[in-house]
Amino acid sequence: MVRFSLNGVETEIAPDAMLLTRLREGLGKTSTKVGCEIGRCGACTVLRDGVAVNACLVMGWQLDGAEICTIDGLETMPAGQLLIKAMEIENGFQCGYCAPGVMMSLAGLLSGETIPTDAMIEEALEGNICRCTGYHSILRGARLARDMIKEKHL
Amino acid sequence: MKVARPDSLEQALSLITDGGVPVAGGTAFQLEYAQGTTPPAQYVPVGHLIPTGIKGLTIGAGTPLEDLRHAGIPLLSDACRDVAAPNIRRLGTLGGNLAWRKGCLVPALIALDALITTTNGSMPVLEYLSAPDGLVLSITLRPLEGGQIQSTWRKVGLRQAFTASVIATAGMMSLCDNTIVQIRLAAGGGATPAQRLTAVEHWLVGQNIHAIDQAILRQRLEDAIIAVDCPFRTASYRRKVAAASLAAGLFGLPLAPRNKMPEPSKTAFPPALTELSRLKGGDRWHTRPDMPAKLRGTFPYLTDKRADGMLVGRILRAGRPHALIRSIDTTKAESLDGVEAVVTHRDIKGLNAFGIVFQDQPALCHDKVRYTGDAVAAVAAIDAETAERALSLIEVVYDDLPVISDASCALAPDAPPVHTAGNLVTAVAHGRGDTSTGWAQAVHIVEDTYVTPRQMHGFMETEGGWAAPDGDGLIICAGGQHGSRDQMQLARILDVPADSLRVVTSPTGGAFGGKDELTVQPALALLAQKTGKPVRLHLSRAESVQAGTKRNPLTIRMKTGCDAQGNLVAQEVEVISDCGAYASLAPGVLETALEHVVGPYKIDHYRANGRLAYTNNGTCGAFRGFGANQMTFAIECQMDRLAVLAGLDPLEIRRRNLRIPGSPGVLGQRVAPSERLSEMLAAAAHSDMWQPFPVNADEIPGVGMALNYQGNGLGTIPQDEADFGLGLKDGKIQALCGLDEMGQGLTASLHGAVADRLGCARTDVCSVTGDTMLAPDSGSTTAARGGFVVWQGVNRTAPAFEAALLERAATIKGCTPEALKIVPGGVGETRLNSSTPCVSFAELGEIAPVMAHYDFPKTDYTKGNARFIFAFGATLARVAVNRITGMVRVVDLEMHTAAGPVIDMASYLGQMEGGLVQGLGYTLTENMSYQNGRPVAGNFDSYMVPSVKDVPEAMRITAHEGLDANDPYGPRGAGELGIGAIMPAIANAVATATGQCPATMPIAPETVLEMLEGAHGPL
Repeated sequence: MVRFSLNGVETEIAPDAMLLTRLREGLGKTSTKVGCEIGRCGACTVLRDGVAVNACLVMGWQLDGAEICTIDGLETMPAGQLLIKAMEIENGFQCGYCAPGVMMSLAGLLSGETIPTDAMIEEALEGNICRCTGYHSILRGARLARDMIKEKHL
Repeated sequence: MKVARPDSLEQALSLITDGGVPVAGGTAFQLEYAQGTTPPAQYVPVGHLIPTGIKGLTIGAGTPLEDLRHAGIPLLSDACRDVAAPNIRRLGTLGGNLAWRKGCLVPALIALDALITTTNGSMPVLEYLSAPDGLVLSITLRPLEGGQIQSTWRKVGLRQAFTASVIATAGMMSLCDNTIVQIRLAAGGGATPAQRLTAVEHWLVGQNIHAIDQAILRQRLEDAIIAVDCPFRTASYRRKVAAASLAAGLFGLPLAPRNKMPEPSKTAFPPALTELSRLKGGDRWHTRPDMPAKLRGTFPYLTDKRADGMLVGRILRAGRPHALIRSIDTTKAESLDGVEAVVTHRDIKGLNAFGIVFQDQPALCHDKVRYTGDAVAAVAAIDAETAERALSLIEVVYDDLPVISDASCALAPDAPPVHTAGNLVTAVAHGRGDTSTGWAQAVHIVEDTYVTPRQMHGFMETEGGWAAPDGDGLIICAGGQHGSRDQMQLARILDVPADSLRVVTSPTGGAFGGKDELTVQPALALLAQKTGKPVRLHLSRAESVQAGTKRNPLTIRMKTGCDAQGNLVAQEVEVISDCGAYASLAPGVLETALEHVVGPYKIDHYRANGRLAYTNNGTCGAFRGFGANQMTFAIECQMDRLAVLAGLDPLEIRRRNLRIPGSPGVLGQRVAPSERLSEMLAAAAHSDMWQPFPVNADEIPGVGMALNYQGNGLGTIPQDEADFGLGLKDGKIQALCGLDEMGQGLTASLHGAVADRLGCARTDVCSVTGDTMLAPDSGSTTAARGGFVVWQGVNRTAPAFEAALLERAATIKGCTPEALKIVPGGVGETRLNSSTPCVSFAELGEIAPVMAHYDFPKTDYTKGNARFIFAFGATLARVAVNRITGMVRVVDLEMHTAAGPVIDMASYLGQMEGGLVQGLGYTLTENMSYQNGRPVAGNFDSYMVPSVKDVPEAMRITAHEGLDANDPYGPRGAGELGIGAIMPAIANAVATATGQCPATMPIAPETVLEMLEGAHGPL
């Protein structure tokens, strides 16, 4: 078994298990969503050592000692708190099923050293499919979060 | 699968020699397994053993693509930008992309003359690709040096970003005094073989770049490039765009031809429009009540339910389009350890059929299968793995039948029947006047065949949920759009009383019509019944793609005539709709399409015929727009084409033909007041969208518009009623409404409508939705009927509820009810100009719900299905048509809407923006095509919904909220308006850029290139 940290808690996974399956089926952590299982929708996006990756493309053997942060850990991140606030203000989502993945892609971007430009926000979301919103409400929320972070010098 | 842990390269190599598969990022593997590749017995991770990082021009094979994307390496960094998406690029490595050999970076590496160093030595990239030898360790780039260096890179895919490669090209050249000294040209990516175009390179070397004949160059390139057909793009398209990419990328594009843009005529002033946005909305903009949980991952989707002892269900699909079932043997599956139940048709005690209109779809097939996604059996087991293994042990013997893969062929007299009664499901015909009289008056006639694709709903949460024993009956929880109807259909299948079933349908992660019909509920209910245990079942995307309902593809032959002044005089329309294997709501879709056959225009003479045919192409039914948008596409394109012939602008021809408010509808039916077509037209005429706008050098601009006219509600024939309640419990005002929250904003609308009406805060309201035990039957969450149901429900229950509430408060306060009013948080005193409560809602205890039953407003016409209430809109699109790829980029969208008062601004805006973009995908990239009864797309890798890069830079939405005096019908439906006219708006915009209207959707880039060449000559 491979040991990794899941939102700060020591956890195990088999080397040939998909992280997404381990989360949803093994651990019952269904806050991370499943949308395609081939890396083409982004619903399962999590942070591995601080950067956004698809949990359906990461397997146990790639997690030795890794720190995984899912949507459950988003509020422990300073940028995550502001992102949630901004998305609440802008009503970023509709059905919300893509939200955990989109939020983690943005959390990865907004936690970086650079204050992202609009173009960087769009690029960060290229791998996240949303079928409800047409993306503009998500982009408005992301830009508001960016502006709030800029103001707070996080 | 075993995963090795090699400590050294030598060890890794020996494991690979023994059959292990080397893996670095591993990002391509899941995709390959999904496409049918068998996973290897052993993975050999090598990422930790191979070099990583960039040293000068040498790149470690383990370097992630996302690092390279930001490394500023000529050509390669640009190319990495177009590989997958950042989250995947962080895992994927350069070595992996190369060793995969299908990666779209290959042409860039060829143009950079990369030297590949493997464990077996070094070799040029093309040599490595033709005979890979050893494990890739590093890649050394050898760009051209000396003189003036130019390079180019272009990847053409199926959408603007995050797409498989159709073809990618890379070029690099060095110049001395404008003479080509050295040049490298390469193509590849995806299905295209990696290639260097040496013959063309030899021809170019020594030439002055200003003396090169671009037409000859492109022809030479096209002749040289080796490409293949695939179900999405032809080989000739690949050659053409690759040639154009290289020629334009290195030698520049001729100036764009100037195209004539429409100049709109303006007559009436536009009405007062509410701009829908947070900034303009002020205190009308509220955070949706479901937003906080959705942002934190705590929203309770029904597919997320987990409980101890809960079994996992799986469904066995036919996997073949048309066959007789000779036998089904479940013995082996049943005897597998961990399997708790296998169900087949033999377990169905009631009617083994369902369907909202006709019950023609078996819950579990017994005698034959009619599409690849047909359900044959289902399994419940202790875990997913066991359930899947059990599926593979079920033995079904089939006799294959001829496949009906085309709706027209299905209607041929000798076509093999999909159902015993034949392939004609329904036929609809109506008309008015005498078309021969009309044609005699026609001066201009446009006739064409408009073809709309089979769109997939693509809700992010696929079909699924859970079921469990509940008292003497069952509880069945799965995303749906009408719990009471699901309950009735399930009771009929199980042969149990309907009230023994509790059906929960909310919340769900998107539906758009695709969860209107039963999906997984029959299998779930049967498994829970047979095992006596809770069972969950959630379709994988691949299964959802195969089995789920789609939008009916329509072939619309339309002939429309106008007189010299542009007045419409006659129209004839023939429609054939592909039903797929089962009727579901497809008969309603066809009927609705024909109900919109003349659009919002007056035509004295028309004939319309429609036929719906069974095929083996999946199964189709309800989808946002429900046929109206398909017909709107045809009629709105016809209007623009007739305008050109009559010398009118797009506004004027519509103005001349608009239906007169208050006149009968197309079927002669009475229609509701508050028609807003001329206002929508005025708003479109005064739009800035018609002004010139910048596009890229390789693009041609276009602008177009289309009108919306969308019927609301189910129509005259189906039962269309609602129950609604308002009560007080646990300190909250409960809105009891059996509609479903599927993302559209039902909850927000309920909270908004109650708060606005009663004067409480939105946070004082709690809504109870989508549960047959807790909420009343409010009808289906379809047909844009929710807005009316919510508003009318509140209207009808609020007076009695308010009276009961104030009376209770008056008793407590020892005053008269007249002295009190509802305020945020409770009840306050009328005499005080304050909104502070003197009694809180919690102190008021419980008030039994005040209930109301009401009809959705209907018209008087009952010979066919006719709508009474309509919503209106105008959509404007600015597009940029790419001269190299033929792809259409939507630059800007504007939509004016008239659907009465807006209940919740954020939800309404969301419906419009989301509808527009869903329609944009329907127009440009989405098609669930079938080949001989088998779906071509398998997942989101091959079915292209819009990505964030496919959406316009700006979307501006307005609402005209006013209703006529004494209009008693309140808010109109918002759910279907957004998607209603985007397709013709884009098509008309493309027509201004190319000179021709694209009639087959989605718009094929290859067709666009042909149209551009036709209009402007070689580009």
